[in-house]
Amino acid sequence: MSMMSPIAPSRMRRLTVAQGDSLASSDPEVVFTTVLGSCVAVCLHDGRAGVGGMNHFLLADPPTMANEDARLLNRYGVHSMELLINAMLKRGASRRNLKARIYGGATMRRGLGEIGNTNIQFARRFLDNESITILGEDVAGVAARRVEFRPAVGLSRCNIVSTQPVEQIIKIPTPSGGDVELF
Amino acid sequence: MRMLLRAALTEQGFTVFEAEDGVDALEKFESATPDLVITDINMPRMDGFGLIEALRSGDIQAGLPILVLTTEASDEKKARARSAGATGWIVKPFDREKLGAAIRRVLH
Repeated sequence: MSMMSPIAPSRMRRLTVAQGDSLASSDPEVVFTTVLGSCVAVCLHDGRAGVGGMNHFLLADPPTMANEDARLLNRYGVHSMELLINAMLKRGASRRNLKARIYGGATMRRGLGEIGNTNIQFARRFLDNESITILGEDVAGVAARRVEFRPAVGLSRCNIVSTQPVEQIIKIPTPSGGDVELF
Repeated sequence: MRMLLRAALTEQGFTVFEAEDGVDALEKFESATPDLVITDINMPRMDGFGLIEALRSGDIQAGLPILVLTTEASDEKKARARSAGATGWIVKPFDREKLGAAIRRVLH
């Protein structure tokens, strides 16, 4: 999908959505951008509220029995999707108006084929369970993608950038997850 | 998320009743008498604040521990939950051990 913007490109603010991030905005001058290999990004948009959001997750589900550090759980689809939806709702979006697009899930190396596929299947299943319509997908294959998404208007663009493995930096989220405060 | 929470709590020996949102939770109270409530803030129909206020307005649930499990981290919302009668505040994504420890602490 092409992006035809009435706003001069120089005024657009580009925000990178790194692994584990879930960002939402209604700012017409914001563009979310990310690069995906086997990771998946889901773009959500509420056209009535003019709110959009993008996440970027590494794996569909955390290992069931692993004693995973809570700070790293944002890398997993189930947490990432919830953070994304909550971020959207906080900015005035309504769950019933959400529409989705799915990107990524490529097979970047032999032996990692199931990761991308599992991520895609997870995103489809999650959105189906939440009754969120999927408007489009650019998924699977063997190439990395660059995705740009304007959250306020819901326009997205996805380009193939490389058939080489993407070097992805794992961002450690701020150590707030899992903290307990008893009143 | 509810699935993960159920798995984490069941694994630690707790019996779990699930509800879709605040309204569903209040309806569940007609047939269940839980020892503790864990609620999100952002929910359809009735949010977590509404649920806490509704539970605290009845005599029966006056002493029921209510933990808020949410992605929200703002002091303002935390203060609102506390004022409404919440017992504790846990920021998602949750840590199984910390959550279990917090539950055991408020139950004893």
